[in-house]
Amino acid sequence: MHKLYINPLPVRIWHWTNALGFVLLIATGLQIRYLDLIHLVSFRTAVVAHNWIGFVLIANFFLWLGFYLFTDKIKVYHPELSPTKYFRASFRQMQYYGYGIFRGDPNPHHVSVYHKFNALQSMTYQIIMMLVVPVQFFTGVLLWDVTRFAAMVEMFGGVRVVDTVHVLFFIFFTGFIFIHPYLASLSHTPWAHFKAMITGYEEVEDEPEQGAASR
Amino acid sequence: MLLAMVALLLSVPGIAARAEDGDLSKETKACLKCHDKAGLEKKLENQETLSLHVSTKAFVESMHNKNDCEDCHSNIDSKRHGKTKAVIKSKREYSLSMQGSCRECHKKNFAKYEDSLHAALVKEGSKEGRKDAPLCADCHNPHTLGSVKIIQPIAATPCAKCHEDIFKAYSRDVHGLERIAKGKAAPICADCHKTHDVKAASFGDGIRDSCLACHKDVVSAHQGWLPNAALHFEAISCPVCHAPAATRRVNLRLYDSVAKRQVSEKTGVPLFDKRTDAADLKNVGLDERALLSLLKEFNQDGGQGNTVLRGRLEVRSGVEAHQLSEKSKAIKDCDTCHKQGAEPFQSVTLTIASPDGRPLRHGIQKDVLNSLQATESVRGFYAIGSTRIKLLDYALVLVFLAGVGGPLVHMTIKWQFRKVRAKVEAERVAELALANSQAVPGDRRTDDDASK
Repeated sequence: MHKLYINPLPVRIWHWTNALGFVLLIATGLQIRYLDLIHLVSFRTAVVAHNWIGFVLIANFFLWLGFYLFTDKIKVYHPELSPTKYFRASFRQMQYYGYGIFRGDPNPHHVSVYHKFNALQSMTYQIIMMLVVPVQFFTGVLLWDVTRFAAMVEMFGGVRVVDTVHVLFFIFFTGFIFIHPYLASLSHTPWAHFKAMITGYEEVEDEPEQGAASR
Repeated sequence: MLLAMVALLLSVPGIAARAEDGDLSKETKACLKCHDKAGLEKKLENQETLSLHVSTKAFVESMHNKNDCEDCHSNIDSKRHGKTKAVIKSKREYSLSMQGSCRECHKKNFAKYEDSLHAALVKEGSKEGRKDAPLCADCHNPHTLGSVKIIQPIAATPCAKCHEDIFKAYSRDVHGLERIAKGKAAPICADCHKTHDVKAASFGDGIRDSCLACHKDVVSAHQGWLPNAALHFEAISCPVCHAPAATRRVNLRLYDSVAKRQVSEKTGVPLFDKRTDAADLKNVGLDERALLSLLKEFNQDGGQGNTVLRGRLEVRSGVEAHQLSEKSKAIKDCDTCHKQGAEPFQSVTLTIASPDGRPLRHGIQKDVLNSLQATESVRGFYAIGSTRIKLLDYALVLVFLAGVGGPLVHMTIKWQFRKVRAKVEAERVAELALANSQAVPGDRRTDDDASK
């Protein structure tokens, strides 16, 4: 085992702010939408909190974007340009989670500083961070003050359409908030990835041949 | 003492401005000589009795006291008047014939009146028998009239004659009670609905602008506590919250998104009832499909794709719109509307304005507001919680179950494979040990340890 510094401080701040923020957004979102079923806080409190948390997370998003745009760490998001290689790696990763992991096979992805995401993560995170999250923030801002952004709301098909998109992505994030920690627990120990996102250091198993090559 | 008496006289309404009998012209005095006899009346053709009595006292106190009788009754031939019997069909016909006299002096107000809902009803009456639509004399008795805005007691307000139920509600609500207590400072009918250019209260923004004309700071006051306050002002009529005892409904109006106004039916081309009745043969209310195709129909002929539905929350009747309460009793609880099954969303109506501005309505099934299929037709109306799309609720439950169930299933399978994993691990360790022993034959100790 050796340690790799793969989660720099800005990424860790962004991640945990985001994690807490999204949990709160989901909770307040549920309260707003299901006032008949949930009675945690008042509707108004939930709306006001939802708005504020949303704006904090928008700022947080730009912290993330700024960090990756202005450092070479952006390489972790560089896509694999060869479709064959990419799909093969994705298939291997799926095969690992769907079967290999049960047999105790080694994870086909080997973490390194500039290659911390497996093929599935790389694609998923790019879609989430560059499409789903911005659309969610954008629709959220439109709904925050529908009258101020009336022209834009109308352009996108009206408040009902904007809200439906916002709710669809809210449903996605609700699923994500369960799946993501579970997948994060599928390391060599259940807490290894969690610790890595706190300390920044990921414990990486020494591969005999790789270990020899790196020395 | 004398000064006090003068002051007292001046403070009595009507006295100060009153003309004396002596100010009346010789001709007018001559008319009143006969007409100021109580009980003077005339039998009309339709057997109605028309009072011909004009009280001199009331006339000199009226706003017409500077006029002579002949100014209005110019068609009277003084030589033959009273000697030959004039034929009058009915009171209504006589009032109609006198309208022109009012126009002579009150040109501006008459022009406003002609453009009003009241005048539209009069015109309609000439065809279809609406005989109670107000003419000038129905609101303003020409021989006794004072300013309508200062009429005391408030029950004498002419509007109350036709709008009796509404007036009763008004006289008990916050405005009416204040009017009774403080007089002119509080609004009466004409202050909100205007006098001569009165329009259908439900048309356009309705009476909202009248509310805002007096309650100037309310928009910013609401912004202090109400999220999306501007949207609430746009989509909700004031009495929805300020008449807490009222029942409410959703009014989906046909709206021209380019001209930014409510769609009106063209005069002489009544399409709305024909189309809605055809789309709702069982008369159970339009469903989402019928609504969408109806919208397309209105867009095809003349709508040019600009006709949309604009939703608004309003109280269900004019009476309820006049049950305004004190500010402290107004609804501030968001649950009233933002909860599934909330009362305002149990009744939904589709509306077009008739040519005179009055609403033509047809019912819509309330479930339309919760349907994914209505996303296009009801695109501009959405109330969080109460009009949420049901299909998305199912999607959320499904994703939640997948989010929780997926990891649980995965964990279970992983647990069931624990023996396989142990076996594979043992084989791997054995293979590794074998490989090590072949690579370093002399190092027996490590191999032994590994085999243990």
